[in-house]
Amino acid sequence: MHMTKNKVRPKNLLLYFLTTLFLTGCATKTVITPQVAETARLSNFQIKGIIEYDGNRDYLPRTISDESISDTMLNFQYSYDVAYGRDKTPQAIPLFNPLTLIGCPVGENTLVVKGKLVLLKGKEVLKEYSATCGLEKTRSLFSEGETFSELRKRGLIAVRDNIEAQMCQDSDFLSNLKNQE
Amino acid sequence: MKKIALFAVLLVGILFLHSCAPTLGPVYQKVDTIPENLGLVVIYRPSSFIGAAVSYDVKVGETPIFRLYNEGYYPYFSKPGEVEFWAKTESRSAVTLDIRAGQTYYIKGTVGIGFLVGRPHLMVVPEDVAEKEISKCKLCPEKTEQ
Repeated sequence: MHMTKNKVRPKNLLLYFLTTLFLTGCATKTVITPQVAETARLSNFQIKGIIEYDGNRDYLPRTISDESISDTMLNFQYSYDVAYGRDKTPQAIPLFNPLTLIGCPVGENTLVVKGKLVLLKGKEVLKEYSATCGLEKTRSLFSEGETFSELRKRGLIAVRDNIEAQMCQDSDFLSNLKNQE
Repeated sequence: MKKIALFAVLLVGILFLHSCAPTLGPVYQKVDTIPENLGLVVIYRPSSFIGAAVSYDVKVGETPIFRLYNEGYYPYFSKPGEVEFWAKTESRSAVTLDIRAGQTYYIKGTVGIGFLVGRPHLMVVPEDVAEKEISKCKLCPEKTEQ
């Protein structure tokens, strides 16, 4: 039996290191809480009520729908907040850092999106759903990646989807609300 | 002799670049009143040695609103709703604000390292940070159609 020795050449190791460094710079790190099972989103559950929200409708959970006069007397208040992180990389460092030329990060874009949906019956709060999404993107000389606008949109949609999934998991409870007069 | 020639070239270069920058307006003063049904977005760029000679247009949609110079600022009154502000040299930077009437927002512009020219970076900053950094900035002239 012929055995081959796998020698790791320094040249290959360097190439592997540089490729990893380059690709790491391209990826956007996303963390969302709470963690909800992906399968929960598959449900077509929807509940009707009066929606109090004046922002972009694309970011509103699709599990709630508007009706001018609510039969169930349900009100939905949706709000979100976007907080921007500071770029921790000093501007002068990349100028004098030779690793900049091989894709070492020259800066970062970070933001945190929080969304909150409150279900009310009259003035009584029946249920609250919230989700938080943190996004971080490093910039390199070769890849600027997503802009803050794109990260914000991605975060708002992730928060919307997460709240939808939470509501789908709670569909029994919410269906009972729907049926109550 | 070579050193003197190099110094002369550098000096001429600096003078040339300096002559490209326009005369900026008065030093920053906080806007007291925001017109009814509008929000205020203050876009500024603190003084920095890095990319000092680079300036870029800040646009809303396809409309350039002003050119952002080193140590410059510009107050922009915007209609409420989602508004994207962006700038571009060899790469694009963009931030989107959900503007509400009567509210003030701050966007900080900087210049980062690029291949051929410095790259613009726009970021949203809180009021307390912006008010400290903007104090020495001067008003940039409004962009006029050419």
